[in-house]
Amino acid sequence: MEDYRTFLWTKILPRVQKATRYMGNEVNSVRKGHDKAKIKVALAFPDLYEIGMSHLGLKILYHIINMEPDWLAERVFAPDNDMEIIMQEEKFPLCSLETTTPLSDFDLVGFTLQYELSYATILHMLKLSGIPQLAAERKDPDPLVAGGGPGAFNPEPVTDFFDFFLLGDAEEALPQVLHILTEMKLLSRQDKLRRLTEVPGVYVPSFYREEYSPDGAYQGTRPLFGLPERVSRAVVTDLEKAPYPTEFIVPYGGIVHDRLVLELFRGCTRGCRFCQAGIIYRPVRERKPETLRELAGKMVESTGYDEIALSSLSSSDYSGIGVLVEELGRDLAREGVSLSLPSLRLDSFSVDLAEQVQRVRKSGLTFAPEAGSQRLRDVINKNVSEEDLISAVSHAFKAGWSNVKLYFMIGLPTEEDEDLRGIAAMARKVVQAFRQSGGRGKPRVTVSASVFVPKPHTPFQWVGQISREEILRRQQLLRNGLRGPGLNFQWHGVEESLLEAALSRGDRRLNPVIRRAVEHGCKLDGWDEHFSYTGWQQAFAEEGLGIEEYASRTLETDSPLPWGHLDSGVANRYLLSEYRRALTGQVTGDCRTSCLGCGMAVLVGSCGSEGEPYENLD
Amino acid sequence: MRTWINFSKELPLCFLSHLDLMRLWQRAIRRSKLPVAYSAGFNPHQKLSFASALPVGVTSSDEYLDIQFTEAVNNDGFKRLADALPSGLSIHGRQDIPDGIPPLMSLIGAASWHVSCGLNEPSELGGAVNSLLSSESLPVEREGKRGKKKLDIRPLVLNLELEKSLSGHQLSMLLQTGGDGGARPQEILALLGMAEERLMLHRTALYVRVGARLQRPAYVALIKNEVQIDAKKDYYQL
Repeated sequence: MEDYRTFLWTKILPRVQKATRYMGNEVNSVRKGHDKAKIKVALAFPDLYEIGMSHLGLKILYHIINMEPDWLAERVFAPDNDMEIIMQEEKFPLCSLETTTPLSDFDLVGFTLQYELSYATILHMLKLSGIPQLAAERKDPDPLVAGGGPGAFNPEPVTDFFDFFLLGDAEEALPQVLHILTEMKLLSRQDKLRRLTEVPGVYVPSFYREEYSPDGAYQGTRPLFGLPERVSRAVVTDLEKAPYPTEFIVPYGGIVHDRLVLELFRGCTRGCRFCQAGIIYRPVRERKPETLRELAGKMVESTGYDEIALSSLSSSDYSGIGVLVEELGRDLAREGVSLSLPSLRLDSFSVDLAEQVQRVRKSGLTFAPEAGSQRLRDVINKNVSEEDLISAVSHAFKAGWSNVKLYFMIGLPTEEDEDLRGIAAMARKVVQAFRQSGGRGKPRVTVSASVFVPKPHTPFQWVGQISREEILRRQQLLRNGLRGPGLNFQWHGVEESLLEAALSRGDRRLNPVIRRAVEHGCKLDGWDEHFSYTGWQQAFAEEGLGIEEYASRTLETDSPLPWGHLDSGVANRYLLSEYRRALTGQVTGDCRTSCLGCGMAVLVGSCGSEGEPYENLD
Repeated sequence: MRTWINFSKELPLCFLSHLDLMRLWQRAIRRSKLPVAYSAGFNPHQKLSFASALPVGVTSSDEYLDIQFTEAVNNDGFKRLADALPSGLSIHGRQDIPDGIPPLMSLIGAASWHVSCGLNEPSELGGAVNSLLSSESLPVEREGKRGKKKLDIRPLVLNLELEKSLSGHQLSMLLQTGGDGGARPQEILALLGMAEERLMLHRTALYVRVGARLQRPAYVALIKNEVQIDAKKDYYQL
């Protein structure tokens, strides 16, 4: 709105640190008339602009909604401290970037649930916008507040704040939601929500209740009004037909991933047992090479960017990756555009690919062995061996790289000190491989160790996280083992990991905890300078709960799970069978060639596996 | 072919840093498919430079971009470039430059600025402006790499004027800038006791200096490898 916009530009922006975060007006941003739009959607990312603008999902949704003449979508991000102080001084509400419209003036406010440490920020943003925090307290004129993204597969800790969630791919489901809202514009919230349950993937948490036995044991979450027992995820079966944005918004200030992103495929068939994305984005759906080349050309033309990242959960698994990289590389070299491959498999073929795209700058290569011994890699089903690693890095060193980063997790189920010593030993062998490959200069081998966080809908969903003391002890063990020339060690914050684990497998009892945390000033918890563990500890304690107890709790395999009513398409009994195989160190192969009966084939008809789908697991 | 593009930087683009603005131009040039020249080397970059850096938050109606092309660009090309710019940045004109002319950055000797000061009592401010102009020296402190440094900016203040404007009064400042040292508009505002006020500062013009004469780059005469004041157009005599 004009008066808000003028005030923002002349009275607020001159006083903030990075005004480009808040001003909008970027090339390819879409400004439509609010008076003509039938449905107005605010796409809210609960983090700072430079993080949110790096996210592909936001660009896809923005594009899908704005394609439709009757709808409009605008962006909103969390303000940093300096901005927030001025907003409060001036009583300036949280507004969209495109037209400086207060969030409360939209029909729908959609938050993405990308990571647990952004949950407090969601509530904080609702507070800054004046929208009632509790869904139950919202009236008909208030916007509907929706959530999506990976967190929607266990949104139980935030159910009080959302009117509905959308599980799965939004490309087809979201337009269905918006068509219903367009049609039912003048009806009550309750009527709208009842209708929305007809859309695949829509979960209205107020229509589901937690049940407890007389002795207080959780018995599962059950539907009201005869709704289905389980909400199934929305799946786009043909990615070729799904719209993909080519007119990326071009930010002014630097953002975290300041480049174009081309999604080669969705899903992953590797079956790593800790990985939630590997489950909730099944099955693998690829775009055709000719589609990708066409998209790439259009993206460069409309934005002027000079770099495209080929993005997927494991890009080198794309069927025709070699040919694609060669052809795209040739197309783009003419335009002075370079390619990057952010997720590489651990093999020489991938190093060759990396070499092809990084002909000039050998900046650094990243690999993820995840665990330090073959035994533990078998447990997590990360099917790479030490020989794979050594041959891949030797290949890279010969090709001119000297900088290698290795990702590991500590605290994986069944981990022993021996496995941690294995991490240090592997890192040393990499340094050795550098010398043996005749690498020039000094090698730089960085070991980055995060703390394992068990995630819902994975074979490890029942497992508790290791305790704070154990995390600290194991980090110290690694630190001691990783001293020496060429070696570097990076670790993750213990308290952030504990909180992430507590929220990740949380249940509805955490709703009041998050409210209290926000009252204690918690927000932007992913940033060291904002993160306040004491605020969270206090919030948990006031509700009679503890972060560490939640993080480390083991769930019984025969008891209902807090997210048991939400269906990713992968059967729980498949996850359980994978968990059992993990504990006995049995690996499971890639399901592209032979179907393992995870259940996806039942949900989508065909998951593209070359093998016969089968349903009997045992 | 080498060209100077004359443009303005208005709200909200005045909040872009020098680096942000460079990135914006690079992408706009790529979008409009102009044959810009690239530097050689491992990390080739477009041959672009600005006449003078502008502080973040300051608007300007007289900025210049010095671009090297690999071949001649016609009006259609420049039209495409103008259309590729976001609102807040607009092209006023361009002139083709002989290759031997030094970078525009090295030619700029002065800049004029203005700031509206509607709420200030004009007689009081007028007195402050006059006393500043009649001072022998104007010592200021600057934060340097090796701590604080004292500097007399009086010789760098070429003129100050308080004028009536629609919204009250406005202060115009003509200050030396460039390689031989410069005075900053914020320093003058501080000396006038206006440092704490939230004033919108605007750069009205950049000047090429030849002897005691100043002229906007858009007006100067370029003869072979030399820059001369074009006496038929506006210039400022010191």
